[in-house]
Amino acid sequence: MAEFEVAATLDITPDVCPITFVKTKLKLEQLKEGEILEVLLNDGEPIQNVPRSVKGEGHKIVLVEKLDGKYRLLIQRG
Amino acid sequence: MTIDYNELKKGGFLRQRQKDTFIVRFRSIAGNLTSDQLRKLADLADTYGKGYVHVTTRQGAEIPWVKINDYDNMKKEITNYGLTTGTCGPRIRTVVACPGLEVCQNGLTNSRACAEELDKAFFGRPVPMKTKIGICGCPNSCSKPQENDIGLVGVIDPVLIEDKCIGCGLCERVCPGKAIEMVDGKPVLNRKRCLFEGNCISSCPVDAWEETRRGYLLYVGGKIGRLPVLGKVAAEFLQEDEVIEAVERTISAFERLGQQGERIADTVARVGLDAFKEEINILDIESKSADTGTEQESEVG
Ligand code: SF4
Ligand code: SF4
Repeated sequence: MAEFEVAATLDITPDVCPITFVKTKLKLEQLKEGEILEVLLNDGEPIQNVPRSVKGEGHKIVLVEKLDGKYRLLIQRG
Repeated sequence: MTIDYNELKKGGFLRQRQKDTFIVRFRSIAGNLTSDQLRKLADLADTYGKGYVHVTTRQGAEIPWVKINDYDNMKKEITNYGLTTGTCGPRIRTVVACPGLEVCQNGLTNSRACAEELDKAFFGRPVPMKTKIGICGCPNSCSKPQENDIGLVGVIDPVLIEDKCIGCGLCERVCPGKAIEMVDGKPVLNRKRCLFEGNCISSCPVDAWEETRRGYLLYVGGKIGRLPVLGKVAAEFLQEDEVIEAVERTISAFERLGQQGERIADTVARVGLDAFKEEINILDIESKSADTGTEQESEVG
């Protein structure tokens, strides 16, 4: 898989719903269309909700990677 | 004057603990009251009650402290205002509903509109024992349909388009029922565990999960009270235009099978879920939806 060029990184592992999504959304809005945001998030509630909310807002998840107890998402701004 | 308490109860006037004093119950449709209705409720509470409104757990509003002598005047005002009173006793009660897909991010079905139809078709109908209906727009079940005699839960049925899948494993993680397992890099769905919530569909980055159908699960025999029971699934993927028919049949099955003093929960416990389902003739409704798929019109409803 081609490596993506990450424009910004966001760590939402210390946060809970709905801040997890709010932070992701705000960060994405700072990017230009097509740029990639890297998000680190926890297993459980955040991984259940953040991807679908991001997708619902018209962005594209281009990579999901499982790290130790957490996840790394690469989201392309839509 | 002679007071017909049953007539009063039917119209939402409930006897209060204090002599000659009533609680007047109003109903909302799917939990919504317009600002106009709220202003009128406020006026009524000031004029006939003690200036407050009690919000009930079943999305109703009650004005306590109404004096029996005010009954006629208040009744007139209620009618003129276009407010709708609630009911109690052995009748179909207010349909409780969540907002559903109109406003909720998770919503799969339009529970608000469906509640309106149910209200129109069934509210206040006399039945052997009080019968409550609840509906929600997804398995999150915010309006708790499973604790109603008849419950409806919006659901969606996922199918995997294997060619599209990139094997990222996200759906395995997001599935609330742990129904998806990655086997050799591809997701495998255990349909017995599927909650029909569609989180796989809404999360998959490449849209490899698609919707095959959506509709309602029908739950029968839930109740709270002293001995709470959760309703059991009697039918899957009822289409919107089949809901009224299915509820109608559930009520008439209860009328035929129910014994003195039983709620639907008691009848289902006594005769068994399968016998109750047979009496509803749910298979008949189901086979229609199975034959016709998602989009087609059904004859019922
Ligand atoms: S039950 Fe589902 S659709 Fe209804 S309010 Fe809750 S999350 Fe939204
Ligand atoms: S989320 Fe989509 S792409 Fe990822 S494993 Fe599941 S079906 Fe495949």
